This record gives sequence, structure tokens and C-alpha cells, in this order.
Amino acid sequence: MTHAVAAPTLKMGIPISNAKLGMWLFLGTEIMFFTAFIGTYIVMRMGSLGWPTDPHVTHINIAFGGINTFVLIVSSYFVVVSHDCLLSHQYAKAWKFMLYTLLLGCLFLGIKSLEYAGKFEHDILPGHIPENNRQAMDKVVVQFGALMDRHLAKAFPKKEKREDQKAELDTQIETLSKKADATASERKQLSQYQAIAKLNSEYISLKEHVRGNLSLTVPYDKFDDIRKEEHASSKYAPVTLDEVNHKVEELRKGVVGTHEQSIDEGEHKAKEPNNDSDIIKSLASGLRSAQPILYGNLFASNYFLMTGFHAIHVIIGLFMFLLILMKGSRLSIDDAILVENIGLYWHFVDLVWIFLFPLLYII
Amino acid sequence: MSDHNPAVEHDESHGSIYFRVFIALCVFTLISVAADLVHLPSKILLGAIVLAVAVAKALCVLMYFMHLKFERAWKYLLLAPTTIIALALPVSLRPDIGSSYYFQDLQQLKDYPEHEARVLDALKHESGHH
Repeated sequence: MTHAVAAPTLKMGIPISNAKLGMWLFLGTEIMFFTAFIGTYIVMRMGSLGWPTDPHVTHINIAFGGINTFVLIVSSYFVVVSHDCLLSHQYAKAWKFMLYTLLLGCLFLGIKSLEYAGKFEHDILPGHIPENNRQAMDKVVVQFGALMDRHLAKAFPKKEKREDQKAELDTQIETLSKKADATASERKQLSQYQAIAKLNSEYISLKEHVRGNLSLTVPYDKFDDIRKEEHASSKYAPVTLDEVNHKVEELRKGVVGTHEQSIDEGEHKAKEPNNDSDIIKSLASGLRSAQPILYGNLFASNYFLMTGFHAIHVIIGLFMFLLILMKGSRLSIDDAILVENIGLYWHFVDLVWIFLFPLLYII
Repeated sequence: MSDHNPAVEHDESHGSIYFRVFIALCVFTLISVAADLVHLPSKILLGAIVLAVAVAKALCVLMYFMHLKFERAWKYLLLAPTTIIALALPVSLRPDIGSSYYFQDLQQLKDYPEHEARVLDALKHESGHH
């Protein structure tokens, strides 16, 4: 009788390590996660006539996008080199390439933050973008109001309500103007208050023009009479965005009280800058003209959602690299699977960017 | 027992292949940027070129950097369902949002003539300066 030979142990399932299988399953969910964003973006983009593509409008910087693409490709290459070095027992070299990858990941985030700073500077943020002329004019008025609130609150920090601050402003101007023996600092203070008051009256005038839909060529002091007229809206020209933006630019130059002049008249009469011009200029420096961007909010939402989630993945990848780097001289062949899995994750991050770059920066 | 670590599935070096793939990826990126810089006559052509380049780059990364070329058939088992489900969402959204037979009552569509006039105005200004 012969003894039965023990059957070889059967390995069930997929012939790869559990860790690698886990990483691939995770990457499978990640593919679905990003495809949902990318797919909906493509669908929205196709279904929206007039989607913003001009880089001067969207402030998309193709140079930043191109450099970041290159940075990620190099970092992806360094990860595979690091893994390769590990397999050939060149542990110090593997560690060095992992460090380079980490630094390139940081560089990617640095460039990304520069891009984000540009978006914040131009207010290309979801919910902040006017999509037609009316919304652009409203935006100018709202930001002008916020600016006046800041100036009044700074001048009179003890008063909380805007009405109280304005009443205090009038009182201070009256008191200081009547003071015959005013000191230099009091005269300076008076000029400051007068400039705030002038700017505030400009704000109120602009707000009323926009709300009443009356051209800036219609003097504000006639508004009470106009309101009493029948069919006033058909008698007077409506306010236009060009007028409002022109007004903003004038104020930024320190010029006040010019709204009676039409901007369509071509050459303007030379405006004499008054004494408060410099103070007005500094007070109005926070004002910005506004241009509408059709589908701008949808664009900004998509941009920040996709690039934001991608950046979060980059940050997580950097922590993974740190995990390897912290092993220092203890890095060995036993870490090969870990390095390979981290590499798989990092290549996936690169893969997502490969699609985001043409979709967001080129098309 | 061999001292070979069973957990390491790919112990052969692919150093030279990796470098060639890296160069190919750089070249593909340059093609994408060049396609944008030469101002192609059609946006659709530009889109087709850069997306085709993106697919080629993605295949390079998947096949070589992510080792799928050297893996066995499990890759199809694992990635096919994912790919199908991933594509299902945009494909199912397309008829409703991407293209529809009815007129959508959207504020942005009402604003489109105003937007078009503004773009034309800007173009006129630009050509005037030139």
C-alpha cells in the first residue's frame, strides 16, 4: 500500500498579497469617486451654452497647470525608481528617491496654492460670481456697502449700529469744522471724516441708482421728484454696468461727484482733484469693478471640487511618504509591498491629474 | 525555505522601461500644451487631441508604473466592474443635463444673448486695438 501524497495547499482567491488586493479595491472605489466628478463636469460643460473658457475671465493659468503636470510625472517616476531600488537592495537610494517624491508633492501643493490665491484675489469663488449685468451691479453695491461698514466701524469702534456711526460722523464733522483753534491732528481727523462722509454719500447715491434702475447721469438729488412722476422708468435711461464700473474706477482714483457726466460723451472734462482726493483714493482702494461670467459659479464649484479633492489626496500621499521616510536606515526589502502600495496610490493621484489638466486647463 | 520574500511579487527591475515611460509622459504633456498654444481652428479638435493624449498617458501610467502589464488576469476581474459603474453616471446624466429635446428654463440661458453681445463687444475692442 502506498501512502497518499498530501495534496498541495490550495491558495484561494486572487494571486496577490492581501495588502495589494486591498489597495486595488480601494483604488477601484477612488476611480468611481473621481469619475463621478469628472463625468458630471463634462456633462455640465456640454449642456451649458457659453461656458467660460477664456483664461482672462476664469484666471486659469495653463503654465501653472503644465508645470504641476510635469512635477507629478517626475514624482511618479521617482516612486517607481524608489521601489526598484528597494527590490535591488539599494535602501539608501530608495529612501533618497522617496524624499525627492515628497519634496515634489510639496512643490505641487505650493504651485496649487498660488493658483488658489489668484482665484481668491479675483473672487472666482462659488456663489461670488455675477452671471449677468444686473448681478454684477448688485455685487458692486454690496461690496461698496461692506467697505463703508468697515470704514465706519474702524472710525467709531464704540458704536455698533451703522446709523449711530453715521450720526457720530456728522457730529464730529460739525464740531471739528466749527473749532477755530483746531490742532494739526484735529484738522487731519476732520479731513478723514469728511472723506468718509463723501464716500458714504457716493455709496448711497450708487445704491439708489442701481436699485431704482436709473442711469448715473440722472442726479441723485432729483430722485424724490422722479419717484412722484408717473411712468418714470420709461422716461429715464436705465443704469448700465459700464457706468457703475466707471464710477468705481473714478473712486479708486480719488475722484468724487462726477456721476452727472455721461460716460458715453467720449472725452471727459478734466476733473480737478479736490483736497480729499488722496484720502478718498486710499479709502476706496478696496473697491472692485465687477464683470459677469456666465456659468461662472458652476465653473468655480467644479474647479474647486475637483482640484480640492485631488489636493487632499496629494496631502494624504505626502503623509504616506513620511511614513516610509521615518523608517530611515531601517528601510528593507520587507517594506517593498508597502512602498509598492503607496506607489500605486501616488500613481492614481497622478492619473487623476492627467485628466484634470486637459479638462480644466486646456478645453 | 528560500529567503525570498513571498510578499514581493515583482522582484525584477524595470528601470529602463520606467525611464522610457517617463520620457513618453513628458512628450505627451508637451503635445497637450502645444495643441493649446497653436490655436487650433476647432475646439472639438483640440478637445479630441488633448483627451486622446490624456488616455495615452493614463494607459502608460496604468500599464507600466502601476504594473498592470505584468499582472495576471485578476486585473480584469477587479477593474471591469469599477469601470462600468464609473461610466454609468455620466452616460446616464447625459440625456437629461447634457442634451435634452425640451427648452430648459434656466436664468443663464435667458442671459445668453447679453453674454454673447458682451463677448462680441470685447472682440471688437480687441480687433480695434490691433
